[in-house]
Amino acid sequence: MKQEIFDGLAEAVVSGDTEKAEKFAKEVISNGLDAYEAIMDGCSKGMGIVSQRYEAGEMYVPEILCSAEAMNVAIEILKPHIKADPAVSPKKVVLGVTKGDVHEIGKNLVKLLMEAAGFKVIDLGRDVSTETFVETVKREDADICAMSALMTTSMIFMPETIKQVKKVKPDIITMVGGGPLSPDVAENYGADGYAKDAATAVKIAKKLVGDI
Amino acid sequence: MFAVMTGQKLDRVPVSPFAMGYTAQICGIPLGDFYADGKKCFKCQLLASDLHGYDSTPMYAYASIGAWEFGGEIGFPYEPGHGAPYVKKHPIEKPEDVDKIEVPDPKTAGSIPLFMEVSKQANALGMPAVFMIGAFITHCGNAMETSRMLLWMIRKPELVHKFIGKIEGYEKLVTDWFVDTFGGDKCMAFAGGAIESNKVISPKQFESFSVSHEINIHRYALDKGVPSVMMHPCADQNKNLPFYKQIREACGWKGKYVWNFGPETSIEKQIENFGAHDVIGGNVDPPSFQTKSFEEIVMLCKDNIERGIKNPSGYILMPGCEMPPLAPPINVHAMVYAARKFGSFE
Ligand code: B12
Repeated sequence: MKQEIFDGLAEAVVSGDTEKAEKFAKEVISNGLDAYEAIMDGCSKGMGIVSQRYEAGEMYVPEILCSAEAMNVAIEILKPHIKADPAVSPKKVVLGVTKGDVHEIGKNLVKLLMEAAGFKVIDLGRDVSTETFVETVKREDADICAMSALMTTSMIFMPETIKQVKKVKPDIITMVGGGPLSPDVAENYGADGYAKDAATAVKIAKKLVGDI
Repeated sequence: MFAVMTGQKLDRVPVSPFAMGYTAQICGIPLGDFYADGKKCFKCQLLASDLHGYDSTPMYAYASIGAWEFGGEIGFPYEPGHGAPYVKKHPIEKPEDVDKIEVPDPKTAGSIPLFMEVSKQANALGMPAVFMIGAFITHCGNAMETSRMLLWMIRKPELVHKFIGKIEGYEKLVTDWFVDTFGGDKCMAFAGGAIESNKVISPKQFESFSVSHEINIHRYALDKGVPSVMMHPCADQNKNLPFYKQIREACGWKGKYVWNFGPETSIEKQIENFGAHDVIGGNVDPPSFQTKSFEEIVMLCKDNIERGIKNPSGYILMPGCEMPPLAPPINVHAMVYAARKFGSFE
């Protein structure tokens, strides 16, 4: 029964079905199941499948946005029922597209999967200056500063941003990604992590914060 | 490019580096001025092609097209990091906006007067007057905000269809204005879109939202006597390839078409689909021009030339998208160098 509901939730997310997502999320509550477990084994699992299908060319961005909608419907219902453990607060990620760049589809996918995996994402949007990254990291006491760039003209702001955020928070984890980046460029820029797609970004982020 | 399209003879493979912002950089003009002032835009492109000895025809264009023209706002790229104009305000934010929005008069619509200014300069020197058609998904995404449009494609497809219908109406008016001003035979249409990429939408979505409109506008421009069309299906559009072929077939392969696909589409595949009728504009990886050495670029161009030259209907050495504005000038020269060394017709 529990498995059936969680699988239903995952399936609702994969198919972007908001009505089913609402129905299964409500069943989680009415059956007294654990809300956090439902988010992880239902919603998050569903988003994992979505991202695999995108990478395999079987799903495209419009479908993913529908999945995200379905996931958010379920999470809104489940959230108030999560038994908060004051010892574990979610890790905070400051995420944005670097200066001059308006390509934000990839960044949005990274955000979705990070949230589905339990991170709290502070989304700075696109065309974000180094100063804004630095101020936000400081103000939010973030765990990760993640930068996206799709253009060779805007990726050049990454090394300076990495340097500056490390100044205000030496143990911050920095991650970079987007088309023109590669593991070599990321290393040259002094980033702690790089990923070629959103699913790998989540894996690396979890590894870097010591979650797995 | 002009040479190939008008059948002139060159002693080497023609070179068109799709250089826009790059030409402003090397002329010492702010990038914002380049996009905001048609005269500067034309002059920079003309001087850069003279300096490097390449064969492009100057034109106006940028990828965030569709927002300003329908009543939104764009910003010109004056700040560090900016590569081209960007959308500041989308004209469509709510479903009701789609009904309210009117087809604009091209004479005052956003960037169209800038296209016209550059075209007037080009026409005065006997070069084609370039205007934009097609790229319906890109126009629509820029007007609606990309993620909103992508979601509506599934949740409210009728809104996307409706607005794209209006874009077709507007593109017909743009075509009329250019054809009436210069005569169809003096024009060239440019069709290039990025959101059409299969990294973003499926081939099915491309088919259902845009192919019939593409056919309509291509027929319209060709029937008005526009002799040549520069096609730039940006980035990975491999899965859309059959539909591009369908568009050409529907127009009876009329006109001289140049295909400038992203680097993700092999030249062989392009020849297979279009080689019997159309010119293949190459597709050397664009970011490499900024990040790689002269020698590496020459080798990339050599490979592109050797494969492209096999196209029975002609070949132009091109990058697979705009030349990065910050590319070192020597890497642009690498294209001309490679064309002379590996693409000589002697
Ligand atoms: C769609 C698109 C656009 C749309 C963007 C719409 C939007 N709101 O985002 C529009 C039409 C507006 C556009 C405009 C331009 N574009 Co454009 N565009 C693209 C295109 C075709 C697809 C990008 C995309 O969305 N991909 C889908 C997503 C899901 O993939 P992704 O972004 O790579 O993200 C994945 C990974 O990279 C990773 N990832 C992403 N971010 C992060 C961050 C972290 C921390 C991590 C770990 C991982 C990660 O995970 C993501 C999900 O798996 C690319 C081509 C390409 N090959 O990428 C060109 C491309 C990026 N554009 C390019 C250019 C040149 C432009 C323009 C400058 C053109 C012009 N002259 O007007 C303008 C830029 C305007 C500006 N000021 O920014 C060039 C850039 C080349 C270069 N020199 O660097 C590209 C590469 C095309 C090309 N082949 O040359 N574009």
